[in-house]
Amino acid sequence: MNPIAVIGTGQTKHSKARLDVSQPELIREAASAALQDADIGPDDIDAVVISNMEMFEGRAFPELWAGEGAYAFGKPCVKVATGGTSGTSACIAGFHQAASGEFDTVLVVGFEKHSEGHTQTGMALVDPFWDRAVASGALGNFALSISQYMAERGVTEEHAAQVAVKARRNAANNPNAHLQMPDLTVDDVLASRMLAEPLHLLDMCPQSDGAAAIVVASEETARRRGSQAAWVRAATTRHDQPYLGDLDRRLVTMRALRDAAQAAYTRAGITDPLREFDIAEIYEPASYAELAWYEALGFCKEGEAGRLITEGVTAMDGELPVNPSGGVLSTNPVGASGVIRVAEASAQLLGRAGAHQVAGAATALATGYGVYAWSDVIVMRTEKP
Amino acid sequence: MNRQQSTDGVSVLGGAETAIALPDPRSIAEMALNVVERALEDAELRWSDIDAVVTASVDLFDGLTASSIAVTEVVGAVMKPETRIAADGLAAAIQAVHQIAAGAYDTVLVVAHGKASMAHHWNLTSWAMDPIFLQPLGVDFLTVAGLQADLIAGSDSSIIRRWAELAAHRKRTARGGIGESFTIDEVLESPVIAAPIRVGMCAPLGDGACAVVLGAGGGETTGGRAVIAGTGHDLDSHHPGDRDLTEWAGLRRACLRAYDMAGITDPAVAFAVAEPSCLFPHEEALFIDAAGVGEQTVLSPDGGLFAGTAPAISGLGRLLRATKAVKGNSGHRALAHGTWGPAGQGQAVAVVEAR
Repeated sequence: MNPIAVIGTGQTKHSKARLDVSQPELIREAASAALQDADIGPDDIDAVVISNMEMFEGRAFPELWAGEGAYAFGKPCVKVATGGTSGTSACIAGFHQAASGEFDTVLVVGFEKHSEGHTQTGMALVDPFWDRAVASGALGNFALSISQYMAERGVTEEHAAQVAVKARRNAANNPNAHLQMPDLTVDDVLASRMLAEPLHLLDMCPQSDGAAAIVVASEETARRRGSQAAWVRAATTRHDQPYLGDLDRRLVTMRALRDAAQAAYTRAGITDPLREFDIAEIYEPASYAELAWYEALGFCKEGEAGRLITEGVTAMDGELPVNPSGGVLSTNPVGASGVIRVAEASAQLLGRAGAHQVAGAATALATGYGVYAWSDVIVMRTEKP
Repeated sequence: MNRQQSTDGVSVLGGAETAIALPDPRSIAEMALNVVERALEDAELRWSDIDAVVTASVDLFDGLTASSIAVTEVVGAVMKPETRIAADGLAAAIQAVHQIAAGAYDTVLVVAHGKASMAHHWNLTSWAMDPIFLQPLGVDFLTVAGLQADLIAGSDSSIIRRWAELAAHRKRTARGGIGESFTIDEVLESPVIAAPIRVGMCAPLGDGACAVVLGAGGGETTGGRAVIAGTGHDLDSHHPGDRDLTEWAGLRRACLRAYDMAGITDPAVAFAVAEPSCLFPHEEALFIDAAGVGEQTVLSPDGGLFAGTAPAISGLGRLLRATKAVKGNSGHRALAHGTWGPAGQGQAVAVVEAR
C-alpha cells in the first residue's frame, strides 16, 4: 500500500447512555475534535468513511441521516460494517482511499449508541438455520472458546481478572473512557456476577455510547506535517469461518489473528513484537481474549500469557503497555471501538495521549476483532516510510 | 496529485449476475456462490487468484447482523481480506478500485446481494429515515420518490403520460425480467402507490446477486480490455426539505469527480451507452440532466432496472452491463450508475472504457 498517515484523532466522552446528544450530534463531537486535532477545517476533508453496526440501534443506512454530523454532505461517503471489526475495517477503507491517489484527506468516524437499541437482539440475528438457536451473541461464543483455551494453555480465572483490573485502572487516566475503576481488585472481578462460566460480569466489555474519528492523509499531505503524522506501515485483514462448529478451538488457535499479524509484521519489518512495539491497543472484548491475543500476536509463547499479565509486562510501566486507554473492556461503542484502537495508537505516536501517554512511543500496534475471529492488524510508526 | 492516473489500469476482468426472481428460493449464500463461481469463470481466474473481497449488502434488508457473515465462505474470504460497504454495489466496486489503486491488492472480487422477497422492502426503508423528524411521519424511500415525482410534474399534465410511455417502453425492452408488461394505458390505470407514481411505473424488485472481478492491469480477454477510467460518489442532504428534489445534485458532483479523473470534458458526446439505476421513470430525466449525457448516448439498452432489480445490487449490475457494452463493441465508453437512500441521496458512477 502506498504510504499514508493519521494526522488527527478525536473522541467523545463514552458512557452507558449519552442521552444529551442525538446520533449526528455524537458523531459531530468526535469529527470536530479530530479536525481540530489535525488543525484542518471541514472543507479540507475529501471523503468520509462511517463505521456503525446499524442493527444494534435497529436501523438501516444510519449514515444517510447521521452523515452530516461527519461533514459528509456533498462528499463521497460510505459506511463500512463488518461486525466487531467495523471500526478497524473502516480505518483500513480510509487508508486505501487516501493511498489511492484520489483523495488527500479522509475522515473516518465510528459510532454506536447502544442505549437507543437492544444489542443482544442485534447479536442474535445470525444464521437462522444453524447458529441462531445455539451460538448467537458474544457471551456463549466466548464462554465455549475460553473454556477450551483455559484447559489447553493453563490460564486461570485470576489471570483474566488481572487483565480486567489493568484495563479499568488504565481507563482511570483516560477522561473519555466509560468504565473508570481505579480501585478495582482481582477479588472484585472474581466476586462479580457469573454470566456464562467462566465469564464474570467484570470479565466482559460494557456497552457504551460513543464515537471516535481519525483524519487520514495522503503521503504528500502527511509529509508536510513533519513529525505530526503517525505513519501506517502495514494494515492487514483476515476473516474466518463463521460457523461455531467449523472452527474448533477458536481462541486457542486464533489463526486469523496470527496470520494477519504475521503478514503485517513482515510488511512492517517487525521481528520481535514484544520488544519492538512501544504500545499496543488491542481489541479485547473479554479479559481472557487479551491473554489469547498475547499469544496470537507473538508477545509470548503459547501458554505464557498468564505469566505476562502476572509479571506486569503489559502494564503501563511494563515492557509493552497494552491498552493504556483502558481498551474495549472499559469502553465499547462497537462501531467506534476499532476506530478508538487506531485513534489511541495514533495519539500515542503523535504524543497527544494525555495522562495515559507512553513516553517516547515510536512504534504502535492496533487490532480489531469480531466474534467470528475476524481480525485486523495495523502497525504504525512515527518514522516515515 | 494526478487524479487521472489514480485508477489507471484498473480493469473489469469478469462478472456475473443472477436473473432477478421473486422470490429466488435459494438462500443468500447460494445466490452469492452462484455468481462468484460464474464471475471467476468469466474472468478465467481461480479462487486462489483473488487477493481480497468487497461485499455490498444492507443488514436490515437481510434480517442479519453484519450480513457479510452469511457469505464469507462462498465469496472465498476465509483467511483473506474482506470488507463490506453497506450501500449500493457500485460503491463497493469503487472501494475495490481504491484498494487496487492504493497498491494494496491486485485482484479484488466484488459481490452484492439482496432479497426484496423477505420483507416489505419499502416499509423497511422507513428505518433509514431520520427517526426524530421523518420516520414518525411514515416517510420511506417510496414516499420521498413520490414527493420528488410530484414536484417535477408540477402542473405539467402531460408528463405523467410520458412517464407511463417510458416505463412501458423500458419494460418491453427488458429481456428475462420479472415485471409484468404493461401498455401505456395499463400503466396509467394501475394503482397509485405514491402519488403520482403508479405501480406500473416502478422497476420491479426481487432477489438477486451480482459479482464483478476487478484487477490491476491485464483484463485482455476475447472482447478486449474494459478499464474503469473514472469513479465518483457523493452523499447529498438527507432531509427532503434541505435540497432541491427536482435535481440530482449529488449525482452531478459524483459525475464531475469521475469525469475529471477520466479526462472527460464534454459528457454530452462522451458515452455510447449509459446504464442508470432508475427505479422510476421520473429519475431518468434527473440522471440525464445530472450526468450531462447527450442524445447519442443509448440509455439502458436492456431495459435497465425495469427488467427487475434487488436491493444493493443495482449499481454493480449496471457496471457489468456497461462493461459488456464496451467489450461488445457498442462503443468506446459507457457510464454505470448506482444510487441508494431516499430520492438518490447516495450516488455513485463509474466510467468504463474499452482499451
